[in-house]
Amino acid sequence: MSTSALPAPHGVTLQRSANRILQRRREWLAAAGWTLCAGSLALLGGAMLWILGMVLVRGIGALNLTIFTEVTQGTGGGLLNAIEGTVAIAAGTLILAVPFGIAAGIYVSEYRWTRWAQTIRFLADVLVGVPSIVLGYFGYITMVEWLGWHFSIAAASITLAVLCLPYICRTTEMALREVPPELREAGYALGAGPARVTFSLSMRYALPAVVTGVLLALAISVGETAPLLYTAGWSNYLWNGQLVRSPVGYLTYVIWAFINEPFASANALAYAAALLTTAFVLVVSLAARLLLLRRK
Amino acid sequence: MKFRTLLAMLGGLVPASMIAILAFLAIYSWPAIDYNGISFLGGMQWNLGSLYANPITVAGVDILPGASYGIFFLIVGTLLSTFIALLLAVPIGVGAAIFLAEAVPPGPRLWLSFLVELLAAIPSVVYGLWGYAAVVPLMAHYVFPAMADVLGWIPGFGQPTGSGFGLLTSGIVLSLMIVPLIAATLRDAIDSQPAAVRESAAALGATRFETVWRVILPGLRSILIGACVLATGRALGETMAVLMVSGNALNTLPQTIYAPISTMAAFIASQLDSALQDPTGLAVRSLAEIALVLCIISIGVNAAARVILAGFDQRRRNA
Amino acid sequence: MDARRPRRWSKLALLGAVALGVATAGGASAAESGRLLETGSSLLYPLFNIWVPVYTKAHSGVQITTQSTGSGTGISESVSGLAQIGASDAYLSNALEKQHPEMLNIPLAISSQMVNYNLPGLNGEHLKLSGPVLAGIYEGKITKWNDPAIAKLNPGVKLPDDTIVPVHRTDGSGDTFIFSQYLTDTSPDWAKSIAYGTTISWPSVSGGLGAEGNQGMVNTVNQTPYSIAYIGISFKGATDQDKLGEAMLENRSGKFVLPTTATVQSAANSMVAKTPKDERISLIFAPGANSYPIINYEYAIIKSKQGDAQSATDLKTFLRWALNGTGGNAESFMQQVSFVPLPASVRKLSDAQIAKIGG
Repeated sequence: MSTSALPAPHGVTLQRSANRILQRRREWLAAAGWTLCAGSLALLGGAMLWILGMVLVRGIGALNLTIFTEVTQGTGGGLLNAIEGTVAIAAGTLILAVPFGIAAGIYVSEYRWTRWAQTIRFLADVLVGVPSIVLGYFGYITMVEWLGWHFSIAAASITLAVLCLPYICRTTEMALREVPPELREAGYALGAGPARVTFSLSMRYALPAVVTGVLLALAISVGETAPLLYTAGWSNYLWNGQLVRSPVGYLTYVIWAFINEPFASANALAYAAALLTTAFVLVVSLAARLLLLRRK
Repeated sequence: MKFRTLLAMLGGLVPASMIAILAFLAIYSWPAIDYNGISFLGGMQWNLGSLYANPITVAGVDILPGASYGIFFLIVGTLLSTFIALLLAVPIGVGAAIFLAEAVPPGPRLWLSFLVELLAAIPSVVYGLWGYAAVVPLMAHYVFPAMADVLGWIPGFGQPTGSGFGLLTSGIVLSLMIVPLIAATLRDAIDSQPAAVRESAAALGATRFETVWRVILPGLRSILIGACVLATGRALGETMAVLMVSGNALNTLPQTIYAPISTMAAFIASQLDSALQDPTGLAVRSLAEIALVLCIISIGVNAAARVILAGFDQRRRNA
Repeated sequence: MDARRPRRWSKLALLGAVALGVATAGGASAAESGRLLETGSSLLYPLFNIWVPVYTKAHSGVQITTQSTGSGTGISESVSGLAQIGASDAYLSNALEKQHPEMLNIPLAISSQMVNYNLPGLNGEHLKLSGPVLAGIYEGKITKWNDPAIAKLNPGVKLPDDTIVPVHRTDGSGDTFIFSQYLTDTSPDWAKSIAYGTTISWPSVSGGLGAEGNQGMVNTVNQTPYSIAYIGISFKGATDQDKLGEAMLENRSGKFVLPTTATVQSAANSMVAKTPKDERISLIFAPGANSYPIINYEYAIIKSKQGDAQSATDLKTFLRWALNGTGGNAESFMQQVSFVPLPASVRKLSDAQIAKIGG
C-alpha cells in the first residue's frame, strides 16, 4: 500500500503514529511486567538463600559424620534416631495420605458436578485451616489416650496424614482440571472404561503437577513440630519396630527443643537438624523429579 | 465395585476427618461454650485465673477464680496477619510463577523451580528462628523507622515502630511460607496450557507478556483462587513461626502495623501447657473452643471464595 | 480388565487393615519395660540431659528418654501414665493434688532465677531492684528507668530517661511461676489482682513483649535496649556472653543479693525445717540476711502406682541415683546448670517418698 510515490493521507499517518505509540506503550508495559516478575522470583530466591545461609552457618559446626551414626544423647550426640524416625513417619504419612488424597482429588475433578464432590472439596479447604497443634491434640486425645496407643508411629502418621490429605486432594484436582477434555474423549471413544482413562490418560498427563502437590504436602508435614510432640512423643533411641506404644524421634523436635538449651553443642545440633530436614525434602523432591523426567 | 464408587469411598476420608475433628472439638469444648457464651468472641480479657487457687463455683460451673475467656484480640490478630500475608504472597507468587513458566528456558527452570519449592521444604520452626534472628532486628533497626518516616501520614503506619516483633513481621514471614503454594501450583498450570493458545495470541499480535497476562491467566482464575484458598488456610493455621515473631500480645489490639499481635493457632500452642494445669478442665476446653472458632472462620472464608468463584463462572456463562 | 483393578485394590486395602490390626495387637501385648520417659519442664531438661548419658552407661538395662515439653504437659502425662517422670518447676496445686492423690512431688535439685536487663552503659553494674518495684514495672505503673522508686534503691547511678520494656514468657513456664510468686509475696497489690501461676494474666504494658522459652527471653533482651526480663539461672552462660545486666534483688531482710551458690544455699537451708513431708512448698522470699529471694525446688512428679514392677524398680533406682551426692546431685553436674544440690534433710524426705513408688 505504501509503495506508491505519493505520501500517505493525513488520517493514515495519524493512525500509524498512534499505533506506534500504542505499540511502544504495550512493549513498555510488557517490559515492566517482566521486570516485576523477575523481581518476584529474585525476592523469593534471595529470601531462601538468606534462610539457608543462616541455618548453614550456624549448623555447620555440628555437621559431621557422627550425626548419621549416633543417637541424640544428652546435650549433643548425633541425629540417627531423629532421622530414622522422620523417615519412618514420613513413609507412614505418605502411605496413608497419597491413596486417599489422590482418590479424593480424582473424584472431585471427574465428577465435580455431584454433591459429594462439592462436599469433599469444601471440607478439604476447611481442613487446611485447622492448626497443626489442634490436629496434634486431637490425635493425642483420640489415639494416644482413648485407643491406648500411647506415643507411637501409628498415631503420628495418621495425624500427619490428616494434615496432608487436603493439600494432596486439592492439588490433584487442580492438576486434573488442566487435562484437555479431548484427551478423555479420545480415550472413551476408543472404548476404555473410566479407570483406564483416568490412570493411563488423565493422570499421566497431570502427573508432574500431582507429584508437586504430594511433595508440597510432604514438605509441610515433615516440617511440623507441634502435632508430633503430642503423638510421636520423642525417643533418644532407635525405633524398635512397633507401630504402637513406642515413641520415636523426629528432626523437628531437635530443632525446637535444642535451640532453647543453654549449651552451645545443643544449639549447633538444632541447626544441623534444620539443615537435614530441609535436605530430606529436597532429596525426595529431586528423586521424584528425576524419575518423572526419565519416564518422559 | 464400580470405579466411581470406590473413588467416592476412598475420597470420603477427607470429609470424614474434617467432620470427626469438628465433632471432637464441639463435644470437647461444649462445657466451655456453655459457660462462656457469646462474650467469648467479643471479650477482650483472656485470663486462665489463679492456677494455684481453689476452684470456685460460678453459675453451677467449677472455675478458677479470676478466669475469663475472651478472644477478640485473637480474632483480630489472626485475620489481619493472614490478610497481610495474602496481600504480599499473591502478587509475588503470581509474578514468580509467570516468570518460571514463561521466561526461563527449560534448562535452569528445573533448579529455579526448586528454589521456590525449597521455601516449602523449610520447617516452620526454622522460619520462626530466621524470623527472630534475622528479620526482627532488620525491621526494628532499619525498615520500620524508614516506613514510619515515609508512610507515617497513613493511620496505622506511624510511630511507635516497636521492637520488630509484630503484625507486619508476622505477615512477612507467613507470606514466605505460603508463596510456594501459589507459585508452584500456578506455574504447573501455566505450563500445561496447550501451545495453541499461545500461538493464537501471538498470531493476533500480542506480546509475550500480554499473552500470559491477558489470555492465559484469566483462564486460570479458578486455579489461582483454589491456590489462594489453600494458602489462606495454611496462614490461618500456622503455629510455630508466628509464635516466634508475633510478639505474643495478650488482651491488646494492635494500634499500628508494627505492634505485637497474637493469632489463634499460636495462642493455643503457647497456652496449652498451662491450660493442662487447670484442675477444672475449663481452660483446655476453652482452647478447644478457640480451635472451633478458627474452623468456623475457615468455613466462612471458604464459603466466600465459593461465592466469588460462582460469580466468575456466572460472568463467563453470560459473556 | 477394568473391573479387575478395583478388586485388586480392595484386596490390598483389606491386607493393609489386617496388618495394622496385627501390629496394634502385637504392640499392645509387648511390654514397655526397660524404657523410661521423662517429660516436662524445660528448666530441668538440661540437667536430665547431662544425667542420662552418664547413668545409662553405668546401667545398661534401662533406656531413658528425656523430653522438653513444659511443666503442665509433664504433670499431665505423668498422671495419665504416658511418662514415668513428669519434670516440673512447680509442685501440684492443692486442687490437682486432691484430684490425683497418688501423685508424688519429689524435689531433685534447687534452681534459682536471675533478673536481667539491657541498659546501654549500665550492664556492668548490678542495679538494685525490689519486688514491689518489679511488680510496678510489670504492672505498667513504673514506666521509666529513672523513676523515683528505682532511683531510691540505686543512689548515685545515672539512670536513663527511657521507657522500660518488660518482657514476660508467653509459654507456660516454671520461671513465670516463681517470678510471679516473688511478686505476689512482696507486693499486696499484685497478690490481689494477678497472683501466681505458670501462666498469668500479664497486665498490658505499652511496648511490653512476650518471648518463647528462656532462650527467647535472652534473645529479646539482647536485641531490645531498655528491656528487662526474668531468666532461669541455667542460662547464666548465655546472659554473660551477651553481656546483659544482672540485678541484685531485695530479700526478706532488706539486703540486695545476687544468685550465687552461697546465697541460694542460705535460702534453701532456712526453708529446710519448714519443708513438709509431701515436699510441696514454695521457697520464694526465704528468710536470711544472705538469702536469695527467687529459688525453688525442681520436682519430679511421679505416680506412686506405676504400671508394671519393672518400671517401678528402674524408676526408683534412677531417682535414688539422681538424689545421691555422688550421683546426680554431685557438684560436677550441678555447676553445669548453676543449680544447687538438695540439703541432706530434704534428701531424706525425698527418699521416703521414693519408697512409696510401687508397681
